[in-house]
Amino acid sequence: MFNPQDIIDLLAANVRQTRNPFGVPASKFNTWWKDAGGFTRRPGDALLFTGLMYQAIPYIEATTRYLERLEGSSWAGYLRYSRFLPASLRGRGLAALTSAAGKKKFNGILHTICRLLKKSGAGFFYHPEMDFYSGILLYDLGDQDGFIKHAQFVDKTLKLHGVSKIITVDPHTTYALKELYPKYTGATFEVQPYFSQLQFQAPAAGNGKPPVVLHDPCLYGRYLQLSEGPRRVLKNLNLEYVDVRNCGEFTSCCGGPAESVSPALNREILARRAGELKAAAAPVVTFCPICLANLLKAGLPVEDLASLVGRHMA
Amino acid sequence: MALVNPDFAAELKAYGVDTPLECFNCGTCAAICPLLFEHFPRKMIRYVQVGAKEKILQQAEDLWRCLHCGLCTQTCPRQANPGELILGLRRYVVAQARRA
Ligand code: SF4
Ligand code: SF4
Repeated sequence: MFNPQDIIDLLAANVRQTRNPFGVPASKFNTWWKDAGGFTRRPGDALLFTGLMYQAIPYIEATTRYLERLEGSSWAGYLRYSRFLPASLRGRGLAALTSAAGKKKFNGILHTICRLLKKSGAGFFYHPEMDFYSGILLYDLGDQDGFIKHAQFVDKTLKLHGVSKIITVDPHTTYALKELYPKYTGATFEVQPYFSQLQFQAPAAGNGKPPVVLHDPCLYGRYLQLSEGPRRVLKNLNLEYVDVRNCGEFTSCCGGPAESVSPALNREILARRAGELKAAAAPVVTFCPICLANLLKAGLPVEDLASLVGRHMA
Repeated sequence: MALVNPDFAAELKAYGVDTPLECFNCGTCAAICPLLFEHFPRKMIRYVQVGAKEKILQQAEDLWRCLHCGLCTQTCPRQANPGELILGLRRYVVAQARRA
């Protein structure tokens, strides 16, 4: 385990400098929208707010591979002296360590979400200058001041742009904007996860495939009680799914939140959850980029809800 | 020997830790916690209740093992919010370190 204070200092400094925890300007990795066909903002439209989570997964994975090697080694303590990740893991160096396939995969999920929202007639637009990291990791790690300052910046910027409605794509950003921002910045945005906006005109026939098994992220299952949303989408499309015993409000954590302070602890928790899901002997579907990346690491056949639904609605 | 600080629970209120006295030490949270680690989080809550501030600071690193998964909070029969309490203790420890 790393010294949590070192990790917090490192992430907080990155958020102060670049407004995200990776220390890389968002313009370097938030590029998915360039191939998304353009967006027009109409009165009353909601802002699609990705929180930079899906597009950051290849960068998080490159950083974690580095931290995983460092953890438990005699070099772990040196993290505090470098304050930031080594130059090879920042900026262009980090970009070079991320695979093109990884970037395409996670950017592709955002493209699919856009396509599904458009197909559902949801009123929304996207603008990269209104899309920020939510600051959730600072909150989770206990850097309350750092989180509040960042959240105030995001809240103020969105208000300046006249944003009142927001569509989110991941549970961490949804929790931050829906629960934490109102409490700590007084924000009053109307926040909805994208799957609650999916309305397809005619219920399509099923895909004829065996059922998938669902992995509920903790934040949707317990904190936000939104587990029914993805199930409603699947039911409407007659796409079959099964649940494991630990699902919905009682879902088991995949271990992802431990990754920033202990990749080894993450592996331990992940192995247990992977075992529960494997018992269902079905492909896994989840709705969180952190869970998705983590379960992939466990070698499970897993995909995002958007990918499954997107294929069906192609 | 650990020093006991009777004002500790009150001091923690500023960090959002306001339910430790609800806990009656049943251990449900420790039984359900996926960390399976030394009576965590119950042990930390007990330290708060008895004002064992030094113990918390000595074992502070363990607070960051918590996944913020919320299972303990969901199942606590006393609504003592154990998961949120751990988060509040992190805030307290970070603030202490910054002040030092
Ligand atoms: S479950 Fe609640 S009451 Fe029981 S030990 Fe944990 S915090 Fe205390
Ligand atoms: S929130 Fe933390 S203490 Fe509570 S069950 Fe989850 S990992 Fe354990």
